[in-house]
Amino acid sequence: MRSTWKQIWPPLVAVVFFLAAWQLSVSLFHIEAWILPSPTDIARESSSNAAGIGDHTIATLRLTLIGFPIGTAVGLIVALLLHLLPWAKRALYPLLILSQNVPSIALAPLLVIWFGFGLLPKIVLITLVCFFPIAVATMSGLSQSDRMMMNYMKMAGASKWQIFTKLELPSSLPSLFSGLKISATYAVMGAVVAEWIGADKGIGYYMLLQKSAYRTDRVFVAIAIIVLLSLVLFAIIALLERWLVRWKPRRNS
Amino acid sequence: MSEVTQVPHRNIEKSSPTLSRTAPPALEVSGISKSFSHRRRETEVLHKVSLQVEQQEFVSIVGPSGCGKSTLFHIIGGLESPDAGTVSMNGKIVTGQRGKISYMPQQPALFPWRTIEDNVLLASEITGEVGEQAREEARQWLAKVGLSGFERSYPHMLSGGMQQRAAFLRALLAPQELMLLDEPFSALDALTRSEMQRWLLELWEENRRSVLFITHNIEEALLLSNRIYVFSGRPGSILHTVDIPFPRPRREEITDSPEFIRLKRQLSQWMREEQAKRTLT
Ligand SMILES: Nc1ncnc2c1ncn2[C@@H]1O[C@H](COP(=O)(O)OP(=O)(O)O)[C@@H](O)[C@H]1O
Ligand SMILES: [Mg+2]
Repeated sequence: MRSTWKQIWPPLVAVVFFLAAWQLSVSLFHIEAWILPSPTDIARESSSNAAGIGDHTIATLRLTLIGFPIGTAVGLIVALLLHLLPWAKRALYPLLILSQNVPSIALAPLLVIWFGFGLLPKIVLITLVCFFPIAVATMSGLSQSDRMMMNYMKMAGASKWQIFTKLELPSSLPSLFSGLKISATYAVMGAVVAEWIGADKGIGYYMLLQKSAYRTDRVFVAIAIIVLLSLVLFAIIALLERWLVRWKPRRNS
Repeated sequence: MSEVTQVPHRNIEKSSPTLSRTAPPALEVSGISKSFSHRRRETEVLHKVSLQVEQQEFVSIVGPSGCGKSTLFHIIGGLESPDAGTVSMNGKIVTGQRGKISYMPQQPALFPWRTIEDNVLLASEITGEVGEQAREEARQWLAKVGLSGFERSYPHMLSGGMQQRAAFLRALLAPQELMLLDEPFSALDALTRSEMQRWLLELWEENRRSVLFITHNIEEALLLSNRIYVFSGRPGSILHTVDIPFPRPRREEITDSPEFIRLKRQLSQWMREEQAKRTLT
């Protein structure tokens, strides 16, 4: 408990310091609220308008919670297939890496043309942004199992399937989880961007609305909510990891 | 330690000399050679190695490090294929076949996500189902090697010596008859080591598995073995074959007998000569 606290307080102090500097410079230099509202302005706005933004938050959360598991599943399936079929990996893995040079977000207009304005293009977008980190992390985890353990399994006569389930899969878990953590934040981002391209509710939609009204304070509230959503998702995954990878010696990092 | 019982999954008759003379050897390695190429340079690691382990015999290999002892185990276990030569078990050629031996690697290589109990049962799990009876046996054995209370622990919570004992049990409880032990006690301190030697001696004399044992420790080899193969430096080949005459059951006191001391001196000298050749070249 004490060590957790030791880890938490330095960034906490940094955040408090940053907010204080922000607050001070806004009032010292008389910056207008439509350019940069102060943290207290933003806090006041978020508490007075909580109801107005609640529905949007729920819409974005819902979109994320549909898209993220689908993206995760696709990422895992891609990783498993490429791992179990080495020739497919050789053929497709370089293409997969190359494909990441296309910013998925730039595909958004195309997705709208192909799939309209409903749920589908949004889910496709989230899937596109979050399957990749999971696929890559899982694949590298699967192929980096310990040599000695692999030798042991082979000499003990383990089948390919046994090697996969008893050695490769468990040893890929830590790596899989780092992929999941990255993808979780990507998923929230993907949901917001998906709402920019065509939605009538959600945090992304709300941001666009407030931007055109120059309600900078509300845009900041929206950003804070996005950060919060990402953090919560991240924390849930970290907890799941702690439970599933409890065999791993904890290093103080 | 004294109430050592039958090794599970196995019912071997107490060593009957007639059986071991007529039955084909548990392991017969003939003419094994192996080279590895590294950066286009071929290095011969094993050169025409032939050796035998009769049924229910304890055979040791001693030799300088890097002479291909572990590689020989990998070949017997089917992990590597030899460039020449064959491996037979019980009269059948099994070169390159896996799953025929029970193996203790040089590093414990316990699986970090398995509890000690599950680690010990891994080999049985690979060949078939593990029932409650096997688990109960595993727990009894864990207690016997001083690991009771650690059944549900993960390997990183154990000391190096405890991990080696767990890896040893994993080999002992494996369903295969022939055991290959690659320097099983090398990571132990001297005291634990001699305790484990005595324990293995007693255990083996009760159960009589066929064992091929790699060690650096000449005294250990003399105490435990029916026969010792002395390997040359790389490329490893057999320099000397020494039959160890001491009757069984052996007690640790034999280490003080003149014959033991003579053999020990002889083997040490061979080893020193090999080492000297290596430093010259
Ligand atoms: N898979 C491999 N590929 C290339 N070289 C190897 C391989 N395995 C072992 N060697 C080499 O073979 C030699 C003998 O190794 P090893 O069998 O581990 O010796 P020992 O167990 O007697 O100490 C070493 O020089 C080692 O580098
Ligand atoms: Mg070795």
